[in-house]
Amino acid sequence: MNGGGPRSPSYIMDLIAENILTILILLPVVGALAVLGYQMFWKQESQLKWVTFAITLLNFLLSLVLVFDKGAASASGFHFEKNVPWISAINTNYHVGVDGLSLWLVILTTFIMPIAVISTWHAVEKKATAFYIFLLLLESAMIGVFVSLDLLVFYLFFEASLIPMFFLIGVWGGKDRIYAAVKFFIFTAIGSLLMLVAIIALYFMHADATGVGTFDFVTLLNTLKLGNMTFSASAGAFLFLAFALAFSIKVPLFPFHTWLPDAHTEAPTAGSVILAAVLLKMGTYGLMRFNFTLFPDQAREFAPLFIVLAIIGIVYGALVAMVQPDVKRLVAYSSVAHMGFVILGMFSFTEWGMQGAVYQMLNHGVSTGALFLLVGFIYERRHTRMISDFGGLANVMPIYATIFVITAMSSVGLPFLNGFVGEFLIMVGMWKSTILSVTAAANWNYIATMVAGTGVIFAAVYLLWMIQRVFFGKVTNDKNRGLADLSYREIGLMVPLLFLMVFMGVYPRPFLEATHSSVSEIQKRVMQRAGGEIDQAQVPGPSEEKTEAHLEIQQK
Amino acid sequence: MNLFLFAELANPNVNIPIILPEIVIAAAGIVVMLFDSFFPGQRRVTGIMSLVGIVLAAVLLFGTWSAGMPASAWNGMIAHDNLRLTFSFVFLLVSAMTILISTIWVETEKVPAGEYHALLLFATFGMLLMASGNDLVIIFLGLETLSIATYVMAGFRKTDLKSNESAMKYFILGSFASAFLLYGMALTYGATGSTNITEIAARVADPNFPALLLVGAAMLIIGFGFKVATVPFHIWTPDVYEGAPSPVTGFMAAGPKAAGFASFIRVFVLGFPLMAGVQASGYLHDSWMAALSVMAILTMTVGNVAAIMQDNIKRMLAYSSIAHAGYAMVGFLGAGAASTVLERDAAIASVAFYMLAYAITNLGAFAIVTLLGQKNDRRTEFEDYNGIGFRSPVLSFTLSLFMLSLLGIPLTAGFIGKVLVFRPALEAQNALLTIVVVAAVINTAISAYYYLRLIVVMFFRERTSDWVEPRIPAGIAAALVIAVIGVFYLGIFSSSIIERFSQTTQSIGSVSTR
Repeated sequence: MNGGGPRSPSYIMDLIAENILTILILLPVVGALAVLGYQMFWKQESQLKWVTFAITLLNFLLSLVLVFDKGAASASGFHFEKNVPWISAINTNYHVGVDGLSLWLVILTTFIMPIAVISTWHAVEKKATAFYIFLLLLESAMIGVFVSLDLLVFYLFFEASLIPMFFLIGVWGGKDRIYAAVKFFIFTAIGSLLMLVAIIALYFMHADATGVGTFDFVTLLNTLKLGNMTFSASAGAFLFLAFALAFSIKVPLFPFHTWLPDAHTEAPTAGSVILAAVLLKMGTYGLMRFNFTLFPDQAREFAPLFIVLAIIGIVYGALVAMVQPDVKRLVAYSSVAHMGFVILGMFSFTEWGMQGAVYQMLNHGVSTGALFLLVGFIYERRHTRMISDFGGLANVMPIYATIFVITAMSSVGLPFLNGFVGEFLIMVGMWKSTILSVTAAANWNYIATMVAGTGVIFAAVYLLWMIQRVFFGKVTNDKNRGLADLSYREIGLMVPLLFLMVFMGVYPRPFLEATHSSVSEIQKRVMQRAGGEIDQAQVPGPSEEKTEAHLEIQQK
Repeated sequence: MNLFLFAELANPNVNIPIILPEIVIAAAGIVVMLFDSFFPGQRRVTGIMSLVGIVLAAVLLFGTWSAGMPASAWNGMIAHDNLRLTFSFVFLLVSAMTILISTIWVETEKVPAGEYHALLLFATFGMLLMASGNDLVIIFLGLETLSIATYVMAGFRKTDLKSNESAMKYFILGSFASAFLLYGMALTYGATGSTNITEIAARVADPNFPALLLVGAAMLIIGFGFKVATVPFHIWTPDVYEGAPSPVTGFMAAGPKAAGFASFIRVFVLGFPLMAGVQASGYLHDSWMAALSVMAILTMTVGNVAAIMQDNIKRMLAYSSIAHAGYAMVGFLGAGAASTVLERDAAIASVAFYMLAYAITNLGAFAIVTLLGQKNDRRTEFEDYNGIGFRSPVLSFTLSLFMLSLLGIPLTAGFIGKVLVFRPALEAQNALLTIVVVAAVINTAISAYYYLRLIVVMFFRERTSDWVEPRIPAGIAAALVIAVIGVFYLGIFSSSIIERFSQTTQSIGSVSTR
């Protein structure tokens, strides 16, 4: 039976491996239908969480195939590629594939989902059927975003992910849930619709250049790389900004961040976790995947703008987080600051910075996701999140306090925890960056790094200050005396996250290695000037002063 | 004389098979009317007879939808091309769904259903003529047949003041618009010496055509602009849509609007084209393109902004239908700006697809509005929908689906429709049309607010008053199933439909003339 007859197990395994991405996208949809069917026939709403958990766990296990069974990459550098015509009349294809950039984001998605499901074990009291259906549909859309290689299909998943999240916030959210849900939807929709115009415009520009219009990312990229298609200054700027706006709102980059604190604060715990861990990454992923590779000239041109906005976001987010009276809002603003770091690293256009940015995306997913879970635990017990309502919790809930402190430290960037690796890489990358102008008066890249560095200090301040007020000292509020410490379920769902925080902090190599080739390819693409020469991004810039400055640093 | 008539009839250019769909619909209308006068009150029978007529017409239409059929009939008065075929398909679907939706209304309110069905068939006949007419006279004939039938249908709830007001307003303003249209046609005839669109197009190539044609074109824009409800000729829409019975409103928003677009496109894109090397035609073409671009932007913006402020679902859908006319005009402008016949035909097909997607979605929405509105459309305010989401999940989620499709969320018909109409406008790669498209997407984002509002009201709010889920009659259930399948089918498997719509069995406008 070796060689794989039509029914042998290896044949089935091959089939699964071959269509793994499609399976990962469709399994949650099938799961959603299963949940609906289960509820219709057995009417056991309390058992639905088991069904959902089983499906998300299965999806996670299946997604591990991506790590262990790579196979050979196709010519375009993507693994597990599938390209099937969808609407042939407008030449759009269902084209999916993963590379180093998207691999860990897909796994982050499938990893965080079962955790999010367990976190809702007792939290979802009403309309559980719809809740789990939306959760599953959301997973499907998120995976779709990270793996699609056809711009129209990408847009489709990007938009489709809005609907379940809109419902999750709107139905199961807090007091101001309606305002938050509508704001979330409209902010994101405005950005992505302009991207749709840009996508269609790209189609026709490709048609003009080669005779065939296409939405296919790989084809577009190849045509651009070969120089068969060029953008005029104004068209290039429009296209770049249309894509960048959609992604900047999603990230969210200052000044588009105002939807985020509202959405995070009002969303149910599972929604916040997914929002922080995965949805925000769609923005940074999109910038890196599409903006950098399709419009490298414009990316370089606009980099100073994005770097400035990212730094404002880092400092502003941290300062605003400091004065928040609500723990969840505090964590939400810390997200703005952390995502600012990711943007900063990406736009440094050095391999250090970009690798750090990708790594920081994962870190943020793990750490901030965990923080939202922890906030959710205490909210379930006390139905308040105000810092002033707590105090001395460490005496009552020691395990909770321990886990909280570790998670906060990972978010601050304590060495040996994951946040440190990402932030360190980003700052080194920015320091070495040649993208900002170097004048006699100032080396802007150093200044940018230093200002961004203050964000780390602020992060320590606001998180530690919050911890001090919430956990240490004496128990001030009598209502907090009888609080139960974490249950086994709650500890159980934190363990994988804590493990990752430590593991990613101590041994980042497997992660960075997997992303290395894809990221360095994007980096080379961005720094490639029109003549085809690669700009020297790795070594300090050409100017005398700069070299001297660099030597000085090395001596220190 | 008789001999002459015989010779005319024997002329091979008559081509009866081509206008069989029109003949069948007209005959069905007459049969239903006669049947109703001999056996009054047979609501189901007349409904089924009308449906049979429509299905038969559709079958005949598909029969002509193949290569090898002549491109025209009646000496070039009837065009047989993709513009006609695609839009006719939309009209027949709209009418069939309207009949299904109005079963509830016809049953609970005991209105004279036979008359209603007959009128609907005559309106359909008018719409079919508007799409197939290649002659200004035929177009006007179709438009009036349609309009008069619709005036009566709008006022069909005789004892209801709002319905009366609606019919009266529609009638007076509609007549006014028809006069403009007719005057525009007369001036066009005066300027070109022909009412045949193919011939008008040929005259436009003459560098010395009189300036009168510009005035005629302007009046035609007013007349058609009224029928498709574009700003600034839209004022009648909200009142008429609110007052008319819900199924009729759904019909008016989907059918006559599409019919208006069919004629509008034929007269302007095919009748007043840009002739290479003829400066005067360029002037005419630029003028109407500029005028329609401005109208399109205004239509979308006014429609969407006004829709935000409505508290009545039917008024909200009325303003939304104005906005959708604006989106459809984007594709229309793309057809006007197209540089090749192939691009132009694809653009026209995109408008037809857009109207199909809009019609299915909109009629689905009106089916639910009809059902929840109950007798005399009493419950059509937003607050009547408060918190029904999880009480009637099937209806609410279906209505949400339609709202999302109207908004243009991926995987629904509305999304593909929007992509298709934006495409030709961007393909032209001229600055004005790019601005129009950008205006269209900004408007889409604005529209998110009021479409989502209905979802918010249904799902995110709690219901304070009690709620009795209405029984869903078979007719409405059938219409909803068609609509839901249609929305997903057009959203996911639209490839075959788009190909069907834009395949060049008959290149548009290749009509032989006398």
